[in-house]
Amino acid sequence: VDALAHLAAGFAAALSPAYVAYAFVGCVLGTLIGVLPGLGPSAGTAILIPLTFQLDPTGAIIMLAAIYYGAMYGGTITSVLINVPGEAASVVTCIDGHEMAKQGRGGTALGIAAIGSFVGGLVATAGLALIAAPLAGFALKFGPPEFFALMVLGLCLVSGLAGRSLAAALLMTVLGLAISMIGIDPVRGAPRFAFGVADLYDGLGIVPVVMGLFGIAEILITAEQPAREIIRTRFAHLLPSRDEWRRSWGAIWRGTGIGFGLGLVPGIGAIVPTFMAYIAEKRLSKTPEAFGRGAIEGVAAPETANNAYANAAMVPFLTLGIPSSPTIAVLMGAFIVHGLTPGPFLFQERPDLVWTVIASFFVGNAILLVLNLPLVGLWAKILHVPFSYLAVGIALFCVLGAYSLQQSVFDVWVMIGAGVVGYGLRKLGLPLAPLVLGLILGPAIEKSLRTSLEMSGGDYGIFVARPLCLALLVAAAAVLAGAALKLAPRQLRAA
Amino acid sequence: MNGLMKRVAAVAALALAGGAALAQEFPTRPVELMVAFPAGGGTDVGARILAAIAEKSLGQPIVVVNRGGAGGQVGWTDMSRRKPDGYFIGFINLPATNTVILDPERKAIFGADAFVPIINQVLDPGVIWVRADSPYKSLKDLVDAAKKAPNTIRTATTGILSDDHLAILMLEEAAPGAIFRIVHLEGGAAQMKEVLGGNIDVAFDNVGGIVPRVRSGEVRALVVMDNERSKFLPDVPTTKELGYPTVISNSTRGIAGPKGIPAPVVAKLAAVLKKAMEDPDHIAKMETAGLAVKVMVGAEYERYYRETHEKAKKYVEWARTRPHK
Repeated sequence: VDALAHLAAGFAAALSPAYVAYAFVGCVLGTLIGVLPGLGPSAGTAILIPLTFQLDPTGAIIMLAAIYYGAMYGGTITSVLINVPGEAASVVTCIDGHEMAKQGRGGTALGIAAIGSFVGGLVATAGLALIAAPLAGFALKFGPPEFFALMVLGLCLVSGLAGRSLAAALLMTVLGLAISMIGIDPVRGAPRFAFGVADLYDGLGIVPVVMGLFGIAEILITAEQPAREIIRTRFAHLLPSRDEWRRSWGAIWRGTGIGFGLGLVPGIGAIVPTFMAYIAEKRLSKTPEAFGRGAIEGVAAPETANNAYANAAMVPFLTLGIPSSPTIAVLMGAFIVHGLTPGPFLFQERPDLVWTVIASFFVGNAILLVLNLPLVGLWAKILHVPFSYLAVGIALFCVLGAYSLQQSVFDVWVMIGAGVVGYGLRKLGLPLAPLVLGLILGPAIEKSLRTSLEMSGGDYGIFVARPLCLALLVAAAAVLAGAALKLAPRQLRAA
Repeated sequence: MNGLMKRVAAVAALALAGGAALAQEFPTRPVELMVAFPAGGGTDVGARILAAIAEKSLGQPIVVVNRGGAGGQVGWTDMSRRKPDGYFIGFINLPATNTVILDPERKAIFGADAFVPIINQVLDPGVIWVRADSPYKSLKDLVDAAKKAPNTIRTATTGILSDDHLAILMLEEAAPGAIFRIVHLEGGAAQMKEVLGGNIDVAFDNVGGIVPRVRSGEVRALVVMDNERSKFLPDVPTTKELGYPTVISNSTRGIAGPKGIPAPVVAKLAAVLKKAMEDPDHIAKMETAGLAVKVMVGAEYERYYRETHEKAKKYVEWARTRPHK
């Protein structure tokens, strides 16, 4: 009941013209990012953070969140039309979506994807509104030792699930933690790894680093790839036929369930739910042979799961402060830049902001349905812009954005440096998600570890003596052990 | 008067006249007012209220710039390197600015002489508070408990070598045998969470941060560390009343500039800022924000800055050598 009252107030604010406008701009930009094959959601969100500096924190977060799920929507278009996923979570959609496009049913594929995404997003946001407040209330009881254990568990989940190789993922996690230690020691105030450079006293800025690691690196990678062939589709039949509806409906509901459930677990990544939803439909289908030949369920299920996942992943992020995907880690960087710390405290300190943002998810999903159904032809045209022009524009935008953070040329160099490093790491096949998560959670992990030890007078027993803390640490160890022994289901590791 | 003396006098007169002319002209462009903490914090709120009122009589805009990070060190480092022409001034937060300079681990590249104190805006006294259901009903209860079981009472500061940290050391000094287990948290919000969550037993903070929670009955203020009672917490006794006249702690926020600003420019800034701070509109807005205005200007503020520095020296040294870290 309390949540409903908060949500009602949130809606009142989210429906104000300014916030609807921010959500709209975010949805358009997000869809654009999704459509442009060179830019994934994490890169796009990172690049666009500086656009929000002039907004109030609520408006900024509304816009960035809209960019995030807008990109999840938009990725579908390229999957269907050019058989290249605009973002990783649309990989599965290529299989049947592109086949449908070849058969001249591209419009219907995009239509069902938009409808499925809308349903998935809406249900998942309702779930978020229901469980977020109780979960945050529970997490408020966490002391520093529990938070330390929780963040360790988050890092272990991301390292254990996200990478092909556990060793590579752990290496990246440690690298991220090490980079996060540059700057003034958060407790004692001594400069570390600063080498007397005043610009380093405050550490490397999260935003320039993620802009470089994701944005610049992705431009470089894409610039190397050959241009793609685009299928010209007529968009006469966007709405599915009666038979297609019948076949999609179950897929949409199951996709919602799978996406939402997996979205609650940090570290799963956006690809896994889409694969699981696709496989589930194929197994349940009476005509499994139709899959891979343009089955509409093969588009409806993963696209729904994808968006349900994207919204459900907001639950651990908003309530516990654990970003479960690289894009959300980027979003967390944006929160921090705007002076907000995601986590249970945010619900207590800024309920207005949290609930307005949650209400804006509903608004954003509705905007995306409108943007995608009638305007899909427009988005398809953008595919024809040559990437060579785009790459220069995006790179320029990144430089301006990094500079605008705090009018510091140093930040621009940090971004360029991070871009080169990110490019190299991707060439080597090393995962970036654990690196970014280590970088973002590093200061909080260190702080909670040291505060816990101050509380106990230096006795490490505090982590064992508190049952909840112990349980979380045991879970973290189990995740790592499971990953080392490759116990996780294959699909979970495939990401 | 011989020729040389005449010439010296003429040069001196010219310099004075030049200085006066400079002050008359100043400012010809906007003045930057640096805050060494992120936007939205207490210092920032006060800076923006002041800037909006003062720029009317200054004749040029006053632009508040946030250079947050490293507990203020990033901003103060920046200010110490700026050209001393009066167009870049900023807030110093005493004793935080002093302890950053005094703590060798900080490796600050500026000393106490790097700044010219111009005028003080806010004085926020220290306060010791507990959760409403805490067994400590008074300062005496707390001190007795800290003597009976030394180094067990989990006591939160708002950061290492903050005024709150120094206040704990002052209390230990004034009540021999009482030892607190010091936990450094990041700011007042973290204190509130951990005290309400039962992870911390007692917190040292400033009055401005806790007034609403005291009024709502969630927390109990045991003592205000000042010579006179706070107008925001009139029912809470002071350390002076309770027999601890040496335990006087507060955090002040005032404006300084890089060393070497011409005296006439300093005087002009001080006059304009003083007028703005005494404006009833300024005082009313500051009190709504829970901040008590305390104007100290010129030699008075200069002396306060030096005294705070000397006082902090002793406790910074003690914090570093205290056996219970």
